[in-house]
Amino acid sequence: MSENIIELKGLTKRYGYGDTESFALKDFDLTIKRGEFIMVMGPSGCGKTTLLDIIGLLDRATSGEYYLNGEDVASISAGRQARLRAKKIGFVFQNFNLIEDLPIIENVALPLVYTGYSKTARLKNASNALRRFHLNEREYYLPYQLSGGQQQRVAIARAIVGDPEIILADEPTGNLDSRASHIVMEELKNIHEEGNTIIMVTHNPALTVYATRVINMLDGQIDTDVKTVSDANLPQPISVKIKKKGKAKPEFVEIPSDDQDQSDSQDRKKRKKTRRKH
Amino acid sequence: MAMLLRTHYKLAKTAIKENRTRSFLTCLGIAIGVASIILILSLMGSISNLVRSEIGELGSDLIVVRPSSTKDSLTNIVEELTSANSFQKSNLSIHDVEAISALENVTAASPIAVSTNTVSSEKNNFDSVPILGTNTDFIKIEPLALRFGAFLTDKNEEKSVVLGHTLSLALFNTVNSTVGKTVTIMGEKFMVVGVLDEIDKSINLDNVDFDNALIMDIKSLDQVTGSTQIQQINVKAKNTDSLAKISEEINAALINQKLGDKNFSVAYGDQITHPASSLFTVVSGMLTLVAGISLVVGGIGVMNIMLVSVAERNQEIGIRKAVGASSRNILMQFLFEALILSVLGGIFGLALGYILAFLLSIITPFAPYISWEIFAITLLTTVAVGIIFGIYPALKAASKNPIDSLKHYR
Repeated sequence: MSENIIELKGLTKRYGYGDTESFALKDFDLTIKRGEFIMVMGPSGCGKTTLLDIIGLLDRATSGEYYLNGEDVASISAGRQARLRAKKIGFVFQNFNLIEDLPIIENVALPLVYTGYSKTARLKNASNALRRFHLNEREYYLPYQLSGGQQQRVAIARAIVGDPEIILADEPTGNLDSRASHIVMEELKNIHEEGNTIIMVTHNPALTVYATRVINMLDGQIDTDVKTVSDANLPQPISVKIKKKGKAKPEFVEIPSDDQDQSDSQDRKKRKKTRRKH
Repeated sequence: MAMLLRTHYKLAKTAIKENRTRSFLTCLGIAIGVASIILILSLMGSISNLVRSEIGELGSDLIVVRPSSTKDSLTNIVEELTSANSFQKSNLSIHDVEAISALENVTAASPIAVSTNTVSSEKNNFDSVPILGTNTDFIKIEPLALRFGAFLTDKNEEKSVVLGHTLSLALFNTVNSTVGKTVTIMGEKFMVVGVLDEIDKSINLDNVDFDNALIMDIKSLDQVTGSTQIQQINVKAKNTDSLAKISEEINAALINQKLGDKNFSVAYGDQITHPASSLFTVVSGMLTLVAGISLVVGGIGVMNIMLVSVAERNQEIGIRKAVGASSRNILMQFLFEALILSVLGGIFGLALGYILAFLLSIITPFAPYISWEIFAITLLTTVAVGIIFGIYPALKAASKNPIDSLKHYR
């Protein structure tokens, strides 16, 4: 019941020519279903980050095919790639990558700038996202005034504020102590349980307990690929629709589906509300 | 799109505020360029205003005949300036004045011929005094008030002079008892028959500083100096309605008089306000050019600071691109910043220029000249400067690869 959200076929990324030629990805095939939480592991230089960049439309493969939601995006224009990035993809980086000069609420609102939301709608959505991570009292702090764990939660808020389908995380806990790591991973887990697809690169084998699928890479190719949750049991998204401009309040819209799914999603809604009350 | 533009504007405002000192210094570069242009435009405007107001005072029945055809092109002006003596070429003569006077619709016609010479009294002796050679009709056209005595008349025109207020003070240390005394020019003695009232208007239609001038009959002047060049003939028309027709008549009369030589121009109304001196045109043109150069230097300052800004905000560009900004978004963001710097500088410059123009007006007769054209020129120039010098840094920012930009920060 879960459709393929990402399909990579024969993806190759080559750096250099002739003697200096090296492959970050070599003839790489991967199919990712909606609702998967994938951990990509492997030694340094095995192509993990390159894979993430290509999936995130920041980089282009030298050759091969890439289908996002069934649409061929390997050779679309840079402008269309940017638009897809804004709407469908959220990035989380190891070093948080927040803009130092902007208060965190504006950092969170950043992706909405490029999808045509009014200023009030942007700030309301950003405020809601921050509340979710219990940072709503620090909206106008600057990034340096927050701890690493808090900064990373801001970065995650920024990644989900535009309601993307895929979240790409490049070692999100790499710069955090174990306590902060734990909090960040719990947040990512919650996001995943709401039906988001997450692809995360990590060096830490202990974190694989959160994943539904663990991929080990070696020299630009898949070494091992283990699924811990069957495709049928993957969480499916409840669609959150935010009205553009004017009324900015996010609304939950029921998607027409079978009864069981609906009750399921209502359940989740309740859970979310109770969490907010805390 | 409009919303995105507003966002870019706000972003730019924030970025400029972040780097207050730097932005201020950059703006100052533009401001100095704009201020000097404003100052020059204001000065030019106020000078033609002075001439225009004088023509207003003289009445609307004035027609001016000038030697050589209208100096409309720069080449003509430069040619005229580079020739040994700009009045040497004058081909107007006293006979032309007489021909014009003889016309039915003309009330008065007076030549204006200025030369400089040494003038001495028993006590004092002055070099380079402007001597205006004209005829008795002059007072009918230029309403100059006399402090003492009378203007030149048909009876006394030979061997008589009228002194300007300041010149009288300089020669005789008085204005009260000057009439009746004699002055010597090139060994010839002349009697002072009148002293002008103080005028204090050095810019006028005739290009004569009357306070310092000596006025005498043009024929006497011709005898004393050997050669006079008539630089213009002022003509008073009988009625104001048909200036065009009368100037046609003057034109025809002159062509007839000069046997077909058409090397002169007849102007009336607004045409007269064209700067009387070609030197003025050239100097103000040169000044504008210099001011333009300082504006270019200011523009380079903008470009420099934008390049620094782009380099500094490498990470920000990478982040923005990662969250969905297209190259065009980034381009607009940085272009807007350059534009705002430049236009802000323009506004500073406008204020600064007018402050300087005002200060200048305290010590000179040039009142600050304000017009919407000056505002429009300022705005357009600064927008153009912002775009020209902002586009390269903006392109550079837009073409940055987000992966490279974020590499150091991952």
